[in-house]
Amino acid sequence: MARTVKRWLVLLAAVSLLLVNAVPAAASPAPYESYNYNYWKEAVPSPDAYLPERTISGRDLGISEFKDPGDVNVSPSGLIYILDSGNNRIIVLDPGFKLLSVIDGFMMEGSKETFNLPGGLFVDEEERIYVADTGNGRVVVLDGEGTLIQTITKPESDILSTQFQFQPLKLTVDHVGRVYVVAQGVYEGIMQFDESGKFIGYVGTNKVERDYGEYIWRMLSTKAQRAQMVLFVPTEFSNADIDHKGFVYATNIDPGSNEPIKRLNPSGEDVLKRFGYYDVKGDIRFRNNPGPSKLIDVKVLGDGMYSVLDATQNRVFTYDDEGHLLYMYGGKGNQVGTLKTPVAIEQSGEHHLVLDRGKNNLVVYEPTRFGARVNEAVALHYRGEDTEAVNIWREVLKLNANYDIAYIGIGKSLLMEKKNEEALGYFELGMDRKSYSVAFKRHRREMMKEHFGTFLTAVIALIVILILTRVAVKWRRRRQVDREAGFH
Amino acid sequence: MKQDFIKFPLHLIFHPIDAFWDLKSDNRGRLLVAFAALALTIVMMILQKQYAGFLVNYIDPRTINSIIEIATVAVPFFLWCMANWAVTTLMEGEGKFREIVLATGYSLIPVILVYAPMIVVSRFMVQEETAFYYLFNSIAFFWFVLLLFIGMMTVHQYTVVRTIVTMVLTLIVMGIIVFLGALVFSMLQQLYEFGYNIYRELIFRT
Repeated sequence: MARTVKRWLVLLAAVSLLLVNAVPAAASPAPYESYNYNYWKEAVPSPDAYLPERTISGRDLGISEFKDPGDVNVSPSGLIYILDSGNNRIIVLDPGFKLLSVIDGFMMEGSKETFNLPGGLFVDEEERIYVADTGNGRVVVLDGEGTLIQTITKPESDILSTQFQFQPLKLTVDHVGRVYVVAQGVYEGIMQFDESGKFIGYVGTNKVERDYGEYIWRMLSTKAQRAQMVLFVPTEFSNADIDHKGFVYATNIDPGSNEPIKRLNPSGEDVLKRFGYYDVKGDIRFRNNPGPSKLIDVKVLGDGMYSVLDATQNRVFTYDDEGHLLYMYGGKGNQVGTLKTPVAIEQSGEHHLVLDRGKNNLVVYEPTRFGARVNEAVALHYRGEDTEAVNIWREVLKLNANYDIAYIGIGKSLLMEKKNEEALGYFELGMDRKSYSVAFKRHRREMMKEHFGTFLTAVIALIVILILTRVAVKWRRRRQVDREAGFH
Repeated sequence: MKQDFIKFPLHLIFHPIDAFWDLKSDNRGRLLVAFAALALTIVMMILQKQYAGFLVNYIDPRTINSIIEIATVAVPFFLWCMANWAVTTLMEGEGKFREIVLATGYSLIPVILVYAPMIVVSRFMVQEETAFYYLFNSIAFFWFVLLLFIGMMTVHQYTVVRTIVTMVLTLIVMGIIVFLGALVFSMLQQLYEFGYNIYRELIFRT
C-alpha cells in the first residue's frame, strides 16, 4: 500500500516537473519594462505599447554599413530617408524597407559636390530633400532625384556678428517652404529662412532659468572671479519638427528645464498644452537614474500626438495634445529594441523608427494591441468624436486598468451625453478634479430640480410641526400655571 | 452634568474671557471634557482625510494611517502642555498643569464644531465653492489660536505681551524637548549597540 502511494507521488512529481517545463513562462517579449506615471507620480507598470519588430542595418540593405547615421525622415509619400552622416550619403528606402537609391553627392556649378558630416535632413511634400550639411556650413536643397535646387549658406544680416559660424544641425520645413534651422552655438532660438533662402530671423528663444543662489554668489565675488564663472546663456535647441498647422515643435536638452518641449506659434511663443498631472519632460522620477531626461528629438505623429526621444535612458515618450503621457518604450541595452545611442525618431505608417547611432541601425517598432488602441482613441478624441472613442477606451481599460486617460476620456464622453452621475465615477478614477466639478455641478442641479418639491414640502411640514409643538408647550405651561393658581 | 459638559464648553468658545476665568476660579473645567475634545479632534482629522469631498481631498488614501494621525495631534498637545508648564513656572505664571491642559483642550472645541459639518458639506461642493471649505477651516484654526491665547492669558494671569512671549517660548521649548528626546534616543541606541558589540566580541573570542 505504502509503496503504491510512494510510486504515485514520485510519478506525480515527475509529471508536474514536465508540465512546468511545458508551459512557457508568460513574460513580456519586450527587452524593456513599460510604465506610465499615475496621479501620485509613481511609475506604474503598463502593458507594452510598442514592440521592436526588426532592425535595418547597411548590410541588410546590401550596401556598406552605416557610419554614425545622424537623422531619419519619412516623406509624406512614405519614402524613408536615412542620413548616413559618417559616409556622407542619403539612403532612400520604400515603405517596405527596400533600398531605392543612395544619394552621395550632387552637381553644383558643373562640379561634383559631397556632404561633410551632415547632421539633419527633412523631406517636404514635393519630395524635396533639405540637408543640414553641418561640416560645409550650408543647407542643401535637392529634389527627389538628387539634383540641386539651391543652397542656403551663412546668412548676411545686421543682427549676426561677423565671426558668426553657420553650422546647421537639424532642420524642418513648413508647407510654404520656410526653413527652420537649429544651428550650433546659436542661443537666440531657431533660425528661420524664407523659401528663397533669405534669413528672416529667430523664433522661440529659450528663457534663462534664474538661479538665485548663483546670483547672490556672483554679487559677492570679485571681477576676476566673475570672469571665470559660467555665463547665464539660454540653452540651445536640440531638434525641431513641424505639425500640419505649421507650428514648430522644438526640444532642448537643458537638464533643469521643466519645459524642454516647446510648441512655437508663428510669432515664436510657446503654446504647448500642459494639462497633464505633471510636466511634459519625459521621466519625472529618477531614483537610480543618471538624471532628468535629455530630449534630443521630437516627432509630430498627427492628431495632436508627439513623441520625444530621451538620450538619458534611451526611451521614447509619447504625449497627446493636452500633455498627457500616453506611453513610453525603449531603454538602454544591446538587444533588439533597446538602444545604444539613439539620435532620431520617425514615424512610417503605424511603425515608429528610431535611428541608433551606437549600433548603426534603424530600429522598427510596431504598435501592440494596447498601443494601437490608445492611438486610435486619442485620435478620435482629438477630432471630437468622443462617443466613438468610448468603446476603444473601454478596450484599453481591459488591457490596462490603470490607464487614467481612458477613465477621463470615458468620463468626458458621458458628460457630453449628459450622464452626469456616471461620469462622476470615471472622473474620480481618473483624478480629474476639474471635469469632476463640472459633472457634479450638473448632477447637483438635476437633483435639486427633481427633488425641490419634496424638499419644500418637508421644510413646510417641519415648520408647521415646530409651531404646533411650541403652541402646545405654551398651552400646557399656561394650564400648569393656571392649575397652581387654582383655576381648575 | 449637562451644565458642565456641554453648556459650559459651548459658552466658553463664545465668551472666552469670562469663561476661562470661571474655569480657573470656579473650578468649572473638567479634564474629561478636555481629553474628549482632544480625542474628537483626532477623530475629525481622520474623518476629514478619509471622507472630505473629492474636490478638496488631496490625500493619497494609501497613506492614511490612524496611528500617525493620533500621534500628530496628541504628541504636540502634550508637548505643548509640558513645555508651557515648564516655561510659565519660571515666568511666574499662576496656572497649574491641570489648568494648562484644560485651557488647551477646551480651545480645540471650535475645530471639532467647524470640521464636522464642513466634512459633510464639502461632499456637495463644486470647485468654485471649495474656497468656503478652506475659509471655514482657517476660521477654525484661528479661533483655536485665539482661544488658546486668551486661555493662556487668563490661566496664568498674564498681560498680552507676556502671553505672546510665553507662547513663542513654549514653541521653542517644544523644539528643544523634541531635540533632546531624539538625542537621548540616539544615545541609548548607540549605548545598546556598544553593549551588544562587546557581548558579541566576548562570545566569539572564547
